[in-house]
Amino acid sequence: MFDRRLLQNFDWILLLILVLIGTVSVLNLYSATFPLKQIGSSQIFVKQIYWFLIGFAVLLIMTTFDYHLLETLAYPIYIFALVLLILVLLLGDVRSGSQRWLSLGGLSFQPSELAKIAVVIVLAKFFDEHGQVDEYGLRELWQPFLLTAMPAVLILREPDLGTALCLTVVSFSILLFVKIKWKSLLILILISLSTAPLIWHFLLKEYQRNRILIFIDPDKDPLGAGYHINQSKIAIGSGLFWGKGFLKGTQTRLHFLPEQHTDFAFSVFAEEWGFIGSLSLLLLYLFLMLWGINIAKNSKDKFGAIIALGILAIVFWQLVINVSMVTGLLPVVGIPLVMVSYGGSSIVMTMAGMGLLMNISMRRFMFQ
Amino acid sequence: MKVREKNWIRFRMYLVAVFFLVGLGIILARAYQLQVLQKDKLTTMARVGYRDTIKLPPKRGTIYDREGHELAVSIEVDSIYAHPNHVKNKPETARQLSKILSMNRGNILKDLKKKRSFVWIARKISPEKGSQIKALKLAGIGFTKESRRYYPGREIGAHLIGFSGEDNQGLEGLERKYDRLLKGPERTLVQMRDALGRPFFISREVSHGDEMHNLILTIDKDIQYKAQESLKAAVKKTKAKSGQCIVINPETGEVLAMAVVPLFNPNVFKKHRPFQWRNRIITDVYEPGSAVKPFLLAAALDRNIVTPNTKFYCEDGKYRVANHTIHDTKKHDYLSAAEIVAFSSNIGAVKIGKRVGYETFTAYLKKFGFGEKTGIELLGERTGFIRPAKSAKEIDKANIYFGQGMSASSIQLAMAMGAIANGGNLMRPFVVKTITDQRGSVVKENHPTVIRRVIPPKIARKVKRVLERVVIEGTGPEAAISGFRVAGKTGTSQKVDPKTKKYSKKNYVALFVGFVPAEKPKLVIMISVDEPKGDPYGGLVAGPVFREVGGWTLNHLRINPQLRLVKEEPPGLSDVRRQIIEPEPVVSIKVPGQLPDFKGQSMREVLKGGRSLGLEVILEGTGLAIKQAPRPGSPLKKVTKVRIQFSPPM
Repeated sequence: MFDRRLLQNFDWILLLILVLIGTVSVLNLYSATFPLKQIGSSQIFVKQIYWFLIGFAVLLIMTTFDYHLLETLAYPIYIFALVLLILVLLLGDVRSGSQRWLSLGGLSFQPSELAKIAVVIVLAKFFDEHGQVDEYGLRELWQPFLLTAMPAVLILREPDLGTALCLTVVSFSILLFVKIKWKSLLILILISLSTAPLIWHFLLKEYQRNRILIFIDPDKDPLGAGYHINQSKIAIGSGLFWGKGFLKGTQTRLHFLPEQHTDFAFSVFAEEWGFIGSLSLLLLYLFLMLWGINIAKNSKDKFGAIIALGILAIVFWQLVINVSMVTGLLPVVGIPLVMVSYGGSSIVMTMAGMGLLMNISMRRFMFQ
Repeated sequence: MKVREKNWIRFRMYLVAVFFLVGLGIILARAYQLQVLQKDKLTTMARVGYRDTIKLPPKRGTIYDREGHELAVSIEVDSIYAHPNHVKNKPETARQLSKILSMNRGNILKDLKKKRSFVWIARKISPEKGSQIKALKLAGIGFTKESRRYYPGREIGAHLIGFSGEDNQGLEGLERKYDRLLKGPERTLVQMRDALGRPFFISREVSHGDEMHNLILTIDKDIQYKAQESLKAAVKKTKAKSGQCIVINPETGEVLAMAVVPLFNPNVFKKHRPFQWRNRIITDVYEPGSAVKPFLLAAALDRNIVTPNTKFYCEDGKYRVANHTIHDTKKHDYLSAAEIVAFSSNIGAVKIGKRVGYETFTAYLKKFGFGEKTGIELLGERTGFIRPAKSAKEIDKANIYFGQGMSASSIQLAMAMGAIANGGNLMRPFVVKTITDQRGSVVKENHPTVIRRVIPPKIARKVKRVLERVVIEGTGPEAAISGFRVAGKTGTSQKVDPKTKKYSKKNYVALFVGFVPAEKPKLVIMISVDEPKGDPYGGLVAGPVFREVGGWTLNHLRINPQLRLVKEEPPGLSDVRRQIIEPEPVVSIKVPGQLPDFKGQSMREVLKGGRSLGLEVILEGTGLAIKQAPRPGSPLKKVTKVRIQFSPPM
């Protein structure tokens, strides 16, 4: 089954980009958790190294099979993800007010991370099978809509507003990519807008509403709900052009930043490395995106192209939402900085996605 | 795949790439906005977030007398503060602190319970208390050094130097006038906080910019002390309200001493009432009385209206002018102009004055510096008052010739007399000789300034000779100093009773203003005693002070007694400034052959004094001398070494 040509086509550039981002992540976590040394949390950056190693292993595993296998496995994977999402609501660990983790023999895992990829795969399958349609209208789209909405609502119940949002925009991106009727698009947008008040009242929790209100007026409660975003802006802004230097970020050192190893990792990085650092990191991501698009473009079929794009969309939206959030462009919705923030499930699943990308990249010249 | 679909996918791919670029572009622009465009705002916010600064009063420069004795110094003392959330057992901590500091326990506890990261417990405490508290090693209690102003000479020059307050800000006198220069850089205690407001680092930070300067005064501490003591004794003896004494070098305008009685101790200035802080020499004006007669004579001589020998009929002691009767203390019939001054005849003065004329005389008074500020570098100087000719009534035009109906300050009288002493130049008085920076280099030096030439030297010499007669045969024999020619003028001026608005029969200001040695004046000394009881005559009340201060100062400055016929002294010694600057060994109360009392002296002074006696000096501690062994007064023959303990003054 394993073909020697696969090795020749191995995408070293993609691997290099991932290793670079992984290095940034570990260094940044070392800095972000540095002041926590006295309470033993300095293990976090070591754990992150393990997660990256596991991630790279998963990445390699994901390249070993032909991705067309996923066409047959799409629904089983999707259903598995849904089951896990239901399980997490029933049995999941509650951490700081939300129920997002499933514990499995000492390891804990966020099913929502799997759900994102599962939705991408199932949508890819759907659009590949219904490829004969030139432009999709609402009649054809009820199925993808349902496929997205089910996990999204479950994730929203955890509650994990950020991931639910991310999942929705990823599906939406795929929809745009496969060509949708303008009228249908308009109707979809109207529907989402009209459900917004419902979501506001019934699905969002008090603190989530506060965060959105604070986003509109961050100085309303600078020590309460607006604290996070103000501190984050202060940290990023005080990095200036050249940054304060590795381990020299005062806001980070003194714990002014909330969640500085997860959601606000970018603030830590921007404070210490300055605008130059932010620019470099974003360029690294951009290069990853463009490289991914190149893979998608060269993929030999629509199924591969949609999966590749879906995975890129996951990375892209997480990145944009996270950075917008910590720089005060969007409300604080709780999305980690993809591949830089601490978080095992996120790293492993992103790496799995990258493995799929690599898989598609390696098989672009092969014919069935 | 169909070709059409391929192309379609390719097109969409480019679209997606553009989309990605735009998305990343937006967040990059945002990062640029925060990190580059808004940098100042956000960095300040960051700093404010994690730093607390507590301002400490700045250190102040030292004020020295002309010989380098310290008159005002800054000393480092402990202040204690608390980080309330680090204090473990608050009631117990408060109990222990209150015991040592003798402060109210409840108040300390209240401070400790404050939800603040920093509170002062006690500032500028004594070293003993500081070390006692340090020994307790209380959690959450910290120490920092603060500087505190200390005046080692206590009352010496207090009215001139003034004092500075709790926050080391100059409040009075030179301390206030030169506050900006004396004040060192602002010091702050910087406290770093983490996000929970817990302090974790305290450092001292010194701002740059303000440099601390020292003042070196023209004052001679010893002359100042002598002037204060003699004046105090005179005020006490005559049961007067207050007294003033100034010693000035007439050639330069340097103020050697400026004493005001009652004295006050600037170390505890709050224990004195604010009016006692006032430097009356420049802030208080009064009618100078007969002390203006020398200036009348100068005007008359300068205008060639009289000669010293011109005779005037003095009306046998009663003279009616404009429905008022002018009296003389002694009846005279005919007096020469010189005798009118020497015996201080009011009637004679009015007669001379009539010839000079009101306008001419007031013009001369103004030339002598009356009615305007002398320009001394002190705050609150008053100009005094000379009635313009237009608004002067007939009686005012007579009274002014013996110093009524006008007012002047002591400093004005001294400077005007200085102009006669030095041959006709009105000098600007000054008290700050040089201003130096911390490295000791001179930043500013004040030089003698001639304000104007008032009268030619020839006229000055004539007036001088007449003023010598005041002491020899006139109203001021008590001012005579043996071995020196003294010139001067007495004044006994009636005060206006605030109730009746008329001249009081009981309340006088007794004055003597003069200079010595008459032939080459080195000192102008001006004494005024306010409301002496008993005989109010200037000669009797103020004259002895002149003699005492003058005699002592001449000796102190090593000015040798000169007899009239002695040749001019060699030129090298005649320079007053050099003689005055000549360093003097520190004089404490010394009895020859006995060990002096070093108490209250600085280390430098003790070393200087001890070594000049050939003793081995052992110093212990820091600050000022508090104890010595052997005791003061022990015969020097037996003593070879002296052990002296010092303690920082409180």
